[in-house]
Amino acid sequence: MAVPVEEAIAALSTFSLEDEQAQVQGPGACVLAERGATESPIEYSDVSAYRLSLSEDTKALNQLNALIQEGKEMASVLYTYRSCVKALPQLPDSMKQSQADLYMETYQVLDLEMSRLREIQQWQASAASKLAADMQRFSRPERRINGPTVTHLWSMLKLLDVLVQLDHLKNAKASIPNDFSWYKRTFTQVSVQWHDTDSMREELDDLQIFLSTRWAILLNLHVEMFRVNNVEDILQVLIVFAVESLDLDFALLFPERHILLRVLPVLVVLATSSEKDSESLYKRVKINRLITMFKNDPVIPAFPDLHLSPAAIMKELSMYFQKFSSQTRLLTIPAPHELPPREAQEYPLIRNLRHYLIVNHIVSIRADHDDFTIRFASAMNQLLLLKSTVNADVEWSKEIKGNIYDMVVEGFQLLSRWTARIWEQCAWKFSHPCKDVPVESQETSASFSDYEKVVRYNYSAEDRKALVELVSYIKSIGSMMQQCDTLVADALWETIHAEVQDFVQNTLATMLRTTFRKKKDLSRILSDMRTLSADWMANTSKSESELHGGEESKGNFFFPRPVAPTASQVHCLQFLIYEVVSGGNLRKPGGLFGNSGSEIPVNDMKQLETFFYKLSFFLHILDYSATVATLTDLGFLWFREFYLESSRVIQFPIECSLPWMLADYVLESQNGGLLESVLMPFDIYNDSAQQALIVLKQRFLYDEVEAEVDHCFDLFVSKLCETIFTYYKSWAASELLDPSFLFASDNGEKFSIQPMRFTALLKMTRVKLLGRTINLRSLITEWMNKVFRENLEFLFDRFESQDLCAIVELEKLVDVLKHAHALLLTDLSIDSFSLMLNEMQENISLVSFSSRIASQIWSEMQNDFLPNFILCNTTQRFIRSSKVPLVPMQKPSVPYANPNFYCGTQELNLAHQSFARLHSGFFGIPHMFSIVRLLGSRSLPWLMRALLDHISNKLTTLEPMITGLQEALPKSIGLLPFDGGVTGCMRLVKEHLNWGTKSELKSEVLRGIKEIGSVLYWMGLLDIVLREVDTWHFMQTAPWLGLLPGGDGQVLHSQDGGDSPIVSLFKSVTAAIVSKPGCPNLTSFSTLSKQAEAADLLYRANMNTGSVLEYALAFTSAALDKYCSKWSAIPKTGFVDITTSKDFYRIYSGLQIGYLEESVQVSSSNHELLGDSVAWGGCTIIHLLGQQLNFELFDFSHQVLNVAEVETASTTQTPRNPHFVQVWEVLIELMKKARRLNNHVFSMLKARCPLEDKTACAIKQSGAPLHRIKFENTVSAFETLPQKGA
Amino acid sequence: MARAGGITNAVNVGIAVQADWENREFISHISLNVRRLFDFLVQFEATTKSKLASLNGKLDTLERRLELLEVQVGTASANPSLFTN
Repeated sequence: MAVPVEEAIAALSTFSLEDEQAQVQGPGACVLAERGATESPIEYSDVSAYRLSLSEDTKALNQLNALIQEGKEMASVLYTYRSCVKALPQLPDSMKQSQADLYMETYQVLDLEMSRLREIQQWQASAASKLAADMQRFSRPERRINGPTVTHLWSMLKLLDVLVQLDHLKNAKASIPNDFSWYKRTFTQVSVQWHDTDSMREELDDLQIFLSTRWAILLNLHVEMFRVNNVEDILQVLIVFAVESLDLDFALLFPERHILLRVLPVLVVLATSSEKDSESLYKRVKINRLITMFKNDPVIPAFPDLHLSPAAIMKELSMYFQKFSSQTRLLTIPAPHELPPREAQEYPLIRNLRHYLIVNHIVSIRADHDDFTIRFASAMNQLLLLKSTVNADVEWSKEIKGNIYDMVVEGFQLLSRWTARIWEQCAWKFSHPCKDVPVESQETSASFSDYEKVVRYNYSAEDRKALVELVSYIKSIGSMMQQCDTLVADALWETIHAEVQDFVQNTLATMLRTTFRKKKDLSRILSDMRTLSADWMANTSKSESELHGGEESKGNFFFPRPVAPTASQVHCLQFLIYEVVSGGNLRKPGGLFGNSGSEIPVNDMKQLETFFYKLSFFLHILDYSATVATLTDLGFLWFREFYLESSRVIQFPIECSLPWMLADYVLESQNGGLLESVLMPFDIYNDSAQQALIVLKQRFLYDEVEAEVDHCFDLFVSKLCETIFTYYKSWAASELLDPSFLFASDNGEKFSIQPMRFTALLKMTRVKLLGRTINLRSLITEWMNKVFRENLEFLFDRFESQDLCAIVELEKLVDVLKHAHALLLTDLSIDSFSLMLNEMQENISLVSFSSRIASQIWSEMQNDFLPNFILCNTTQRFIRSSKVPLVPMQKPSVPYANPNFYCGTQELNLAHQSFARLHSGFFGIPHMFSIVRLLGSRSLPWLMRALLDHISNKLTTLEPMITGLQEALPKSIGLLPFDGGVTGCMRLVKEHLNWGTKSELKSEVLRGIKEIGSVLYWMGLLDIVLREVDTWHFMQTAPWLGLLPGGDGQVLHSQDGGDSPIVSLFKSVTAAIVSKPGCPNLTSFSTLSKQAEAADLLYRANMNTGSVLEYALAFTSAALDKYCSKWSAIPKTGFVDITTSKDFYRIYSGLQIGYLEESVQVSSSNHELLGDSVAWGGCTIIHLLGQQLNFELFDFSHQVLNVAEVETASTTQTPRNPHFVQVWEVLIELMKKARRLNNHVFSMLKARCPLEDKTACAIKQSGAPLHRIKFENTVSAFETLPQKGA
Repeated sequence: MARAGGITNAVNVGIAVQADWENREFISHISLNVRRLFDFLVQFEATTKSKLASLNGKLDTLERRLELLEVQVGTASANPSLFTN
């Protein structure tokens, strides 16, 4: 069943083809339907159907076109020619005997290349003779045949251009004569054995002359042309045509404009070098007009890295053309490189310089671009609206389509102008190499290749910025126009059809009726124009009357038909208009249309001229996608064949490659506005690869482009990711800075970052690169996943190389990273942060509870913190002891990393560092918070367990030492007598407590007690922090669990036995949704309510957590149980043992007074070694052993203090030795301090681990205390504690 | 022939031109629609590619998550004693 095409296509639009990806690349694939209208697809074979007797002309035209095609291929062979000689091997001495073979081989290789050159030589000879013959044939004054047509003129110009280019290229390529001389040498070696080499030798000589003569092709052409002396006319016509087209500049796209500019000087040289009156040219074209033209465009691009200069060409050619050398005015135009620097400042050049550099135009280009984009989009919207309207008004539809046509014309002109600017800037840069290489480059300027001078250092940052901008404008407008190709095609056809019909049916009718009524010849031509292009059937009913003469004065109204005229129709129309205007006479003086002597009135002339140029532009519009492709092709920016040859290298490094320079610039500049153009330079590679394959047809060039693209893209991805990562890191870091601090600080802006948008780039899932599709997004994702892990790894490494105090810094940095991750997560789906953190912490396993940080903290505590840090009770901080540590710590050196592994930029790093430095000197509450947050509830218990085990281990190691000290204690020490005063007491103490042989155990024991004290105090800090965290959690969960504050600090449950608010909320939600019909997935809602119940249970269970400190004390107490009998002997008498007791408190008291005394003598050194934690350790053990009262009664320093008190009271009157007073007073001060500290510890312990009531119960009937009864002092958890080693 | 022009059989040419316009209308119509079809295919390919890419991204994430879970389950089942009590 047949479906109408229209409907079938319309049905396709119902598919949703939305795409997340932004358009940040140039047009991709373009579909070309036909060979293109500009070159007739059927080689003008339909021209004969119009019976205009143009068959000769058409034949000649096709011949020229074929030659142009061949010539272009020759030119690309020549341009891409690379020297073979450099690759030829040299024979080592040992193989000299096979020299002849090498010659043979070399000859064969070179022969292939040389045969190509020979081909070029032959081709140019035949092309020149054909072109000359063609010109002669069509310029006979008697005119036996029709022509030349305008298309024919164009073909002549194009062929001439190809010849000029070939010649220029042949002159510029130095490797060709080189290769040739090598070839000739091998030929003489090889040909010795051959017979009959004369013809070959002759051929060789010919080729040599051809290759070594500059401008050989032009000279040959000149000879061919002036064999018969009548081509001047046609040369003049060509010049006039070229000059007028250039002046008008409407219908020309940049490739044509460049062709005309290249050909013009050569044409002038040829025209003035003829035998007869060379001045006749200037009668038709004023010489000043030519000179201005040459001065305005002093450099013209010819090949990607090769340019032409009219002035230089004319100067050089004047040596070969005698006649021309008299044209002094043309010869004195300065060539661009000849201008002296002083003159360069003045009028013409400074204008040229400004004219050539894109920087000077970018502002207006930007405005043009913005304006055009908006208007084009709105025109497109109108068109879409029109298409969706049924029975649209004819006038309205015509207007909209006409508008589209105007927009397309404007777009083509903009694109053409912009791309031409890039070409011209390139040519200009090539002709003006950079004089002074920037100083920052290390190498000497001598080592710079020419290419670096013309490209790498020749584009300033401004130039690069402007170039990137312009390239992206060209590419974006190109892709915008390319996309709507099929949408606008019929509108364009319709408009063109209407224009043509309007002209032939209305304008021509008017002309026929008025101006040309009397002129039979001319009116015949005009009616021919109507015959061959009028589409009468598209008319309204009036067509009948119109066919027969057309008496109506009003214009015809016709229905548009979406069909465009064919190339042949346009060709014939142009020809006929040209005939009307020129009267078929080549020698007619004056210009084409600006003809004063013509019989045609000015008004009609104007109309004919406008239509004439419009016609040539129609063809470009009909070739819509081909034109867009040509105009947006920027592949030439990559090619550097000429410089490769002159620099004698195989390829330049990518830093010299313009596309990469641009991409690199965008990344380096950190310019948010340019960022989305970063993929545009890669379109240049796409274009150059296309050119290498399609135009130049060289596989090796494609391979080179491909290799460079591969390399560049890798580099690009890593640089881009680096930029993205740094940006997000700095963003996170600056957000985490305290805002009030930023507000108050003078240079707060330094810490804020320039916003950049990566969203478009992060969405690129298909980047088109040399026909491949690359998923940039997944590449970035991969890279980010990797780099986040690397960063975490680095942070942990860094922490491991520092001490425990760095935990605050670690937490800060992890926070920054986490925040950066959260920010990036909105645009990119990377692994979750907790996953990465667990992975890097080696904490993935379900059954392991330690983690990298936890074990690091533990080992740090064991090896550094506990032995080397001392406690200050007042500030609640641990600080590093100033004493040299006993065991020097072995730590890895701090690893190095880029600033973006810290906080992004240098400034932010400094800001965060100065914050971290505040916490680097001590360990206190903030550090404990960091530990709690970093370890979480998973690894914290593991750490606590390890620390508690440490306590019990310490106790085990202390036990034998304490026993030793007990043995060293004298049998009995009585209470200190008052009669000796402080001095006597101290003497007595010294006598008794010298510990005999065991005195070296003293410090060992003190350190052990200190470590136990430190651990306990650490637990105390942890307890404080956990309390705060728990309270915080409680406050958050309480309303959900339905807990209410009651009187007296009690917590009340809001509903008895009922559900908590969270459960009832979710239950009611589920019930409400289930009751509504049409709910898609009910199960997920019931799961939700189940999960609410689970959450309720979990949070409720977590509510009343015990105290960590109490648990630690209970654990210590349990660990002490083993030593209870040794350290706390029950007195045999049943009464308190005063003199002979060797209980722990006794030992500790002795140690304490010992070190207090030492502190006085050795200027407070012991305290710096031990700190306040000794008191914590000692007092805790005493308290847990139940000896607190004994200690307070019989402590030696206590006793000394009592004695001192009495002594002070009794001896206030008698003066004493001042030195003596000083010594004892310091000691007594210390003792008082120690007592205060001990009291503080005891009161704390009493509060947290009360023992008194139990001790009180343990007094015997007799009054003697029952020492150390077993008591249950904490909750049941204690019972289940697995004892170490048990 | 001194001057150009002068279509020898103007009426016939005129009729042929008229027929040509009509034939070409048909050809243009067909060729334009073929191009539209082609355009659609190109666009369809592009859209499909990006949809597949996003799907691929999601699958990647899932795969990695699954891998992690497998490892975790592996560690747990390697020590069954911890869970039998």
